[in-house]
Formats: sequence, C-alpha cells, structure tokens
Amino acid sequence: MEKRKKKVLLKEKVKVLELPVFQEALGVVGKSEIRVDSQDKVRGKLLYGADMEFPGALCGKVLRSPYPHALIKRIQVEKARGLSGVAAVLTAKDVPGRNGIGVVIPDQPVICGDKVRYVGDAVALVAAETEEIALQALGLIEVEYKSLSPVFSTEEALRPGAPKIHENGNLLATSKIRKGDIAKGFMAAEVILERTYTVPFLEHMYLEPDVTLVTPHPEGWITIKGPMQAPFTTRKNIAAVLGLPMNKVQCIQTPIGGGFGGKEDSPIDLGAKAAVLAWKTGRPVKMEYDREEITLTTAKRHPMIIHCKIGAKKDGTFVAFEGTIYDEQGAYASLGPLIPPAGGVHVHAVIMLAGPYVIPHVKVDGYLVYTNHPYGGAMRGFGAPQVNFAHESLVDELAEILGMDPYELRIKNCVELGSETATSQVLDQSVGLKDAMQKSKEAFQWVKLWKPGPKPEELEKGEKRRGVGMAIGWYRTSIGTDSDGAGVNIHLMDDGSVLVYQALTEMGQGLLTTLSQIAAEALGVSLEDVRMVIPDTDVAPESGPTVGSRSTTLMGNAILMAAEMIKKPLLESASDILGLPVERLIAKNRLIYDRDNPDHCIELKEAAKRSMMLGRRMMGQGWYTPPKSSLDPETGQGTPYFVFTYSAQMAEVEVDLKTGEVEVLKLVAAFDVGKAINPRMVEGQIEGGVMMGLGYALMEELVIKDGIIQNLSFQDYIIPTSMDTPEIIPIIVEHPNVHGPFGAKGIGEMPNIPAAPAITNAIANAIGARIYDLPAHSERVYTAIKDRLNKKV
Amino acid sequence: MRWRSDMVKEKIEIEVNGEKRILEIEPDQLLVDLLREDLGLTGTKVGCREGECGVCSVILNGKIVTSCLVPALKADGGRITTVEGIERDGELHLLQKEFIYQGAIQCGFCTPAMLLAAKNLLDQNPRPTLEEIKRAISGVLCRCTGYQKIIQAIQIASQSFDIPAQTPRLAQD
Repeated sequence: MEKRKKKVLLKEKVKVLELPVFQEALGVVGKSEIRVDSQDKVRGKLLYGADMEFPGALCGKVLRSPYPHALIKRIQVEKARGLSGVAAVLTAKDVPGRNGIGVVIPDQPVICGDKVRYVGDAVALVAAETEEIALQALGLIEVEYKSLSPVFSTEEALRPGAPKIHENGNLLATSKIRKGDIAKGFMAAEVILERTYTVPFLEHMYLEPDVTLVTPHPEGWITIKGPMQAPFTTRKNIAAVLGLPMNKVQCIQTPIGGGFGGKEDSPIDLGAKAAVLAWKTGRPVKMEYDREEITLTTAKRHPMIIHCKIGAKKDGTFVAFEGTIYDEQGAYASLGPLIPPAGGVHVHAVIMLAGPYVIPHVKVDGYLVYTNHPYGGAMRGFGAPQVNFAHESLVDELAEILGMDPYELRIKNCVELGSETATSQVLDQSVGLKDAMQKSKEAFQWVKLWKPGPKPEELEKGEKRRGVGMAIGWYRTSIGTDSDGAGVNIHLMDDGSVLVYQALTEMGQGLLTTLSQIAAEALGVSLEDVRMVIPDTDVAPESGPTVGSRSTTLMGNAILMAAEMIKKPLLESASDILGLPVERLIAKNRLIYDRDNPDHCIELKEAAKRSMMLGRRMMGQGWYTPPKSSLDPETGQGTPYFVFTYSAQMAEVEVDLKTGEVEVLKLVAAFDVGKAINPRMVEGQIEGGVMMGLGYALMEELVIKDGIIQNLSFQDYIIPTSMDTPEIIPIIVEHPNVHGPFGAKGIGEMPNIPAAPAITNAIANAIGARIYDLPAHSERVYTAIKDRLNKKV
Repeated sequence: MRWRSDMVKEKIEIEVNGEKRILEIEPDQLLVDLLREDLGLTGTKVGCREGECGVCSVILNGKIVTSCLVPALKADGGRITTVEGIERDGELHLLQKEFIYQGAIQCGFCTPAMLLAAKNLLDQNPRPTLEEIKRAISGVLCRCTGYQKIIQAIQIASQSFDIPAQTPRLAQD
C-alpha cells in the first residue's frame, strides 16, 4: 500500500521521504517489557516529593486574593511577622530579582504588588516553623483592596473600553490561516454548514498534589526538588526571580504522580515562591498545595468559543473551511501565546482547526484573550482537543445533512501520504490515518452497527437508545518551536552496564522504560543493564521539557547519537579480540558477534573492559533537534510540525431517554504511532487518554461564577471512575516516522483528542440531536432530547 | 506536615501489617498521618484529605477505608494492612505481580490503594465478576490508566487465586 502510493506520488513529483531500513531484527525495542519502575511502585517504596523527609524545613504558605480583579491599596504584615514561629512574611517588594514567572512571557507576579487578576492570585508569602503557625500568620495579614470591574469572557474583554487586565490590553495574541481563496471556495460549495461550539475550562486533576522542597546553600546557590515536567524551564524562571545566573539554580525531579501538562507551570509557581522564602530566610522551605488550592490556582485547559463553517460538494468533497476561535487565556499568559514559529496553545489550535482533511480553501482567525479567570496552560492535547471537538462535530453533522455514512465522508476527505494540509504542508511520510480508520472500522464492526439517527417518533418509544459515533484526529510530535533540542550523555562502564544522563521526566507514561529500551537496543546491552539518572539539571544536559509528545522521539534520537559515539570504539575493541573487521560485528543482547557466524562472539563487557583499558571513548553525547518548523505569521502557511500521529476512534453509547444520562459501552481507538517501542505502554497511553476524553465528553468542567470556581474538590469536579470504564479496544498501527528512533512518533496526547467527539457523535446518532457545548452532561442531553421532541424535526 | 497541637497524648494499640504496635498519638491525629509520619509507611498516599480520591485507602479490620477520614484513635485495637504489608517474605502478592505484567501501573500514585482495594475484594470474594471488580475499586481514582488494565490485572489474579479452605464464600462460577 505504502509502496504503491509512493510510486503514484513520485509520478506526480511530490517528494516522499524514503523509509529507513533496519538491517537487524530488534532485541529490546518493540517488546512489551515491564516498567523499570514497577517494583517500587507496587511495593509502595517509591518516594514522591511529599514522602521525602525534609528535616528542619519551614512550611511555606500563600495568602491569596479573594477578588478577581482589584488594586492592592495597602498590605499590613507586621502582626504576622510578630507571631512566634514565623520566619518570614514577604510581599512583592521582597522578590530579589524579576517579580514575574511564565513559560513564554513572565507576566505572572510571584507575589502581586499593585493588582490582582484572578481569585487565588498570590499577595503575600509566609514561612513558619509549622503549618499551624503559617496558617495563623496568613490570617494576621491585612490587605486593603480596591475592587476593579472584572472581565469574565472573551467577548467582554474585547469590547471597546473594557477594563484592561494587563497594561497592553486584553488581546494577547492573534493568529490566522489563509489558504486559497475562501470566497471562491464557498461559491463552489453546494452544501454549507455553519456552527458554534464551546468548551469549558478543565482541571488536570493529577492525583499527586503539587509540592516543592527548596534548599538554599550558603555558597550562594539553591536546589529545588519536586514533581516537574520541565526542570529546565523551572530553572530558568527561578534563576530570574532570584536574580541568579542559571548555573546557580539546581532543579531535581521527584517521581511525578501524574502531570498531563499541568506540572509544566505549577512547579515554577510553587518553586519560585518557596525559593524566594528560602532565599530570604536562608532555610529550607517545603511548600505543598492542597487539592482545593491546586484547582483554584494552577493552569487549566483553555476554554474556547469556536465558530466554524464548512462547504462541500453534494458528493461530499470538501471545498472550503472557515473558522474563528475565541481562546480564553485567563489572567496570565502561561503557554497560550506564540513561541515562534508554531509553538504555544493558541497557534496550535488555529493550525489544527481544519482537521486532518484536504481542503483547498481555508481561512481561520484566532484571538487569544486575557480575562479575570484562572489561566489556561498545557493540558494533554495543547489546544487540539478543543478544536477537534469542533471539526469532528461539524463533519459528522455534515454527513448527516448529505445523507452519508460519516465514515465514508471522512475517508473521502482525510489526509494521506502526499496530501496538503491547511497550512499547505505536504505530508511527506508516515501518514497512517486511513489505515487506522480501516482497522478501527473492522474491530468496531462499524458497518454492522452504524445506521442513521432516529426519527422524532422513535424517541418517544422506549427507555434507552443506543448510538454509534466516530472521530478522527491528528497530533504533532514535538512543539514546533525553534528551540527544541534534546541533549543526553551516556556512559558505558567496563562491566557492560550503562548510565544515561538526561532530564526528561517519567510521569507515568513510561518514559524511563522506553528510553532504556532504546539505549539498550542501540548499545547491544540488555534492558536491565541500563539505568537512567534521576532528572537533575546539575547532572543532565539540557533536555527540554517533557511535553508535546516529544520525549520518545527526540530523546530517543539523541540517545541513538550518543550510543553511536560509544559503539564505534567498542566494536574496535571487539574487533581486536575477535580478529574480525568492525563492519562484520553486531552488538546485541550483551554479545558482540560475527554477522556471518553468530556463534563467533564475545561478551560485550569484554570489549568494554578492553576499551576502558586502552583509554578508548566510553561516553557519548547526543543533541537532537527536529527538522525545522516554519509558519508565516501573515498567512499561516508553512510546515509547522515535522510529523503527526493519527487516530481514529469509535464509540457506542446508550442514552437514557428519560434522564439524558449517557453510558459509553465500547470504545475502539486506533493510532498510527510510527513504531511502538513498548506496545503495552502504548496501549496504556491509549486507554488512559480515551478515558480522559470520556471525562471531557460527559462530565468535566470547571464551574466558575463571578470569577469564583464552584467545584474545587473531587467531590464536585467529577472525573471518570472505574464504573465509567467501557470495553476499550486499543489498536496500534505502525507507519514508520523517518525522523523517529526505530520509526517512533509521539503517543502521549493523541488518545485524549478524538475521544470526546466520537462519544458526542454517538450521542447524536442515538437521539438525533446534537450537543454543541461540552460537557454533554445529562441535563444537556435531556434538553436536546426534549427540544427535538418539541420541534419534531 | 499537618496540624500539630499540644494536646495530651493518648495511647493506642494497633496491629499494622501483622506487627503489634503500641503508640502514643495526638487525639486529633488522623490514621493517614499516623501511618505516614509516625510509622514511615509512605506507600499510603495523600491526594485530597477529604476521602474523595481514595489514594490513602488501607484495609482496617477487613474493610477498605480512606485513612484520611479515620481518626487514629478509632483504629485502636484494630488490624491494618497497608501496601507495605501485602508481600510475604519478599515475595510479591499475586496482585502486585499481575499489576506489573498487565501494565496496570502508570504514575503509581493510586497503585497502593488500588492493590489494597483489590486485595480486600479477593480476600472476601475470590472469584468476583467484572462488575464486582469495578465496584470494589470505584472508590479509588486513577487519572492515568483508564482503569482497564487494572481491572484486567485483578481478573487475571483472581483466576489463579488460591481460595483458602476456610473462606466461607466459595467460587461463584
């Protein structure tokens, strides 16, 4: 199939990249090895940040604003300072360096000085001998606010004369796509469908609460320990806040109890606050946020209002797509704005809005807007789940209008090898979308299960109705910025064991295991010979952040580069011993053997010992930067992301017609991951991701009234439980990525993306009415059923 | 680091993971803090302190409880099993092994509580149905796995689980 395509495309003079050929069967990569950290995890022995002893530490606490938008007129801290057991009470003027943090723009004060911009903003910090005293001290701080008019929606924020949240106004960024001639496109359309979708703020709800342990050293440097997805970004921010050079800030990752993008921002927030307290007091400081504080203050998934319009021929061929995104940033910039050329949540959402479809005329405008709500940051999918819900709902409804099977409409228009995207990027390799669709169709028995939705009278009959729905999606590997390098050092010991120095982080996804597998494969040792150091910015080279589904691919490549540097001298040593030319030698599973006569071999460690003895190189260094990203800021045209993961998901639901309750019965989820380094862990990402998508579809949202979040706890912010788990069938499809180690591309975020529209489309198929606003909780579904019955359409 | 008052200490006697312990505790101390801070059993996690997420679950007198809601005083005279107590002489419990083999672990933060909820189920009902498994672990949240591999691990463990002779309730199948 791939080969045939290649020929056709070559005829059309589209350049398609050659696939790499692997000479040897793989020994470790591609096997479902058990997790390297699993023993400690099942025995309860793994120490997370909160489990670590930290003797002599002060307890750090934050006084928070009860107002969404207000000026700080006066702040009285003397009483709190006078309390016995209080080591420090700090306000904005006590921040030694830059009083601002942020992954892209440092617009979030560590401690607010002149004004507060959301409920939960920090106005003072306390460090005390015990938590009890710290809390008491918070109560003694007096703050006088002058309330300002708050802004709670993008619409209000963009109105002329709206209160300014930041000095430069409320419009933080705009992005656009201009492809073809949109007017001409819609002129040619025979059917046009226009809709508006809304999606809410979401909280990550990782189970491990945020914690940071900060130790200042008398020599003038500082250590920050805690769960963190991005130790290097944390280091950079905290160095600026303390006014220190970056080499005087050490960030050490503790095992992460779930991150999902949330622990990219929050370690900077906690770390900077605790670091300022530690720096001022000269004592270690521990700061923990409890559950409510996490929900109140940390980054969220961006809410969006998405208008879109699609034009098609009667046979279903897409001809034009137009969209507008109002993307609510909340109080601070976090990961919303552009990181050139194509990084940041906002531009990513704009790029992805037209979906993985071939559409000749595309126009998209995006507005990223500050409000007095909590701030949007990274959350599994980084802007893509929002827009995927929009385009997949739209395409599904279009199929209904055209009287087509939604599968057929999608496969007619979706991208394949050689296709051009909305940014005019030619997909020159690794496009397994149709394959994933085909495989999920078979596993789901789509042809047997799908039929058009019910007529209104059918809704009056019976208690429950079933429906099926599907959605497709795509997601980039890596982050589309210019600064996307990943570095690693690898040391081979003379006993054949290997130490890998890198600082991308394990947060449950299995990175320690996949990277160990790649290192073992590359060096010819076995999995248990490889140990990864604890991510530590003092020890490991700059690795970048653990985000953007980039880690396996980028760090995997860096590891291959480093391994190559070690392997050459290693094989020379083996060549000395075996008396064979290096070219004939293969290193695998702890042996080095003759390619033509595998029995003629030595143990790898013998060669390692010889290399060490002769002073041959025992360490390698890898620095991998992915192919360059491009995006014209005026036209939104270019090649923003060098490769995409593709997915097709199908859902069967049962809707209770009397209550609107939805039960998901079955989910099939197929993914083109390039190459599954560890298939069982890929399945783990798929199952966990689609269940998070089920939460997005049916139950999750932050309810905010007058700037105050109404559901701070797990009791009110509902996430899926085991009772919600349907039968999930994960399917792995492998169309190798030429830029990936062994062909791999990212999988962490993709599963979270098309699950929600697959489920809401199934609801539409069950009840013949659509849900345009997430989540599709029972009240919304009930109302949709009633509206349909009343209108009888 | 939780609330610490200067109240008079109370003496309690509990059995933790098969070992008798006589402890002096503060009357307002919670079981979760007693386990984590006084006994160093940090396999029991804290996720919300409100009995909602379930990651602090332990087995108390044959029942699964969220230890963040149980005053330590209430555990006086009780038998407690934490995740540290389910392996025998260094040999992992069948459930621990299946959690590893089936890929039921991701970040690991809910894993101890999931194991205990599962163990408590199998102790009382060695051959549970799918629905019974789902219900038994429904008090423990997991944000990573989507639960399917956890459920599968428990199913597989239950199929090879030796039913103790004295178990009053025999296999249902």
